Amino acid sequence: MSDFNRRTFIKSVGGTGVALTLAGCTGGGDGDGSTTTGTTASGDTTTTADVTTITPGTASGFPPFEFVNDSGDLVGFDVDLLSAVVERTDGYELGSWEDLEFNQLIVALDNGNIDVAAAAMTINDERDQTIDFSDPYYDANQAVLVREGGSFRPESKSDLADRPLGAQSGTTGKDQLDSLVEDGTISNSQANTYENYVLAVQDLVNRNIDAVIVDTPVAETFVANRNVVVSFTIETGEQYGFGVRENASDLQTALNEGLQAVQDDGTYADLTEEWFASE
Amino acid sequence: MDPTQLLLQAGVGDWEFVWRQRQFFVDGTWLAVKLTFFSMLLGFVVGLPAGVVEAYGGRYSKGVVRPLGVVVRGTPILVIISLTYFAFGVSPAFVAATLALGVRSAAYQSQIFRGAIESVESGQMEAARAVGLSKLDAIRHVVLPQALRRSVPGFQNEFTIVLKDTSIAYAIGVAELLKRSYDLFSIQTTAALEVFLAASLIYFVLTFTVNRGIEQLHDRVAIPGGNQ
Repeated sequence: MSDFNRRTFIKSVGGTGVALTLAGCTGGGDGDGSTTTGTTASGDTTTTADVTTITPGTASGFPPFEFVNDSGDLVGFDVDLLSAVVERTDGYELGSWEDLEFNQLIVALDNGNIDVAAAAMTINDERDQTIDFSDPYYDANQAVLVREGGSFRPESKSDLADRPLGAQSGTTGKDQLDSLVEDGTISNSQANTYENYVLAVQDLVNRNIDAVIVDTPVAETFVANRNVVVSFTIETGEQYGFGVRENASDLQTALNEGLQAVQDDGTYADLTEEWFASE
Repeated sequence: MDPTQLLLQAGVGDWEFVWRQRQFFVDGTWLAVKLTFFSMLLGFVVGLPAGVVEAYGGRYSKGVVRPLGVVVRGTPILVIISLTYFAFGVSPAFVAATLALGVRSAAYQSQIFRGAIESVESGQMEAARAVGLSKLDAIRHVVLPQALRRSVPGFQNEFTIVLKDTSIAYAIGVAELLKRSYDLFSIQTTAALEVFLAASLIYFVLTFTVNRGIEQLHDRVAIPGGNQ
């Protein structure tokens, strides 16, 4: 159900956060210890007196995780969480944020434009092949959004058969579309991808597509603001992690320790309360 | 859907939202103007000599400039801008965007200037050489003053293209007009249509006024009694 989160969620994450360690980090532990990590022509990583400035990257337009507020500032759960995490690490400080397209984040990590990606990024095998992840810090599933006044109320994936659907490109919602195409539930031309979930929801409201598949926490935001409802949830059991470059295991370890610290001292619970408690 | 119907759907509240958040558009527009200016400048500084080389260059200089131009003109701007920022690591993103748009514009401007130069009758070059000017002086004092005047309409076109293509800088996170628009309708998701309309209006006003300005410049610098 859509009201799974909040307190229950805080509890579950607080409790399982420890147990869930290392889900996203495979064999990235070697080849480290040199000072070359992340120093590229862009010069974003500078080392002064044992404090390394890391450049964080995100993809705004994904409220409440990351978006630009009324005053034009980049804000959100990820932004606050990463700041808190990095504050509790030894030897790292946060530089200024790069706001890119979600699709470009992994490329930007690989090329050293950014050092850490905090963008509600689901830890999955495909991404794990090119980058490494911190410990998971948030649980999500995929929600299927439909028009509020419409008669279309799918209850399972098979109900989506032969319907035009939408998702944002590069997301795990898009992966769901792909799997629906693969198993023949919908045709290729019925899988619509958008640069941004706002546009996908707009197209849903405009009746050009019949459903949008999007991460549950973001679906809640759309339900609050637009004439859409969650019809059912695909239990994917995915988890978000901070993305780091492959082999940047020093940073990875530091982020994991920082995550542990913010969960232990209650900052994590405060932030969840702040960003997800607006009904 | 019928566009008028879409307009009617647009709530008054969303227009109020656009007006209240006008600072987003002001910031985005200013960045788009800066991007356009510096890209056009870079395009001119590189494109004009490239155009001269294409028109008068020897085998070797032409052999370098021409293939380079073909490659740049044949590459989509999104690819050029991503390469500049991600692969070549040019940073900050604004510089990468200016460089990418500037180099692309140089490739196009070189063709504008080459066309204008070749439109100047070859007899003028011969006459200039006959009265003792060196080839370089003849280009500088006889051919270019006429060619530059004739290149104004093409330049006008190029300006319009560059201005609108600044929106591509969105891909590498430069907060120009389009990026600002995306930020805006993420705050109020019902306002997507209004935000896009407002952004298009700004692009239109910018293009219109600058084109009018160039038009006037064109009239003022027109070759007296020329082009008839």
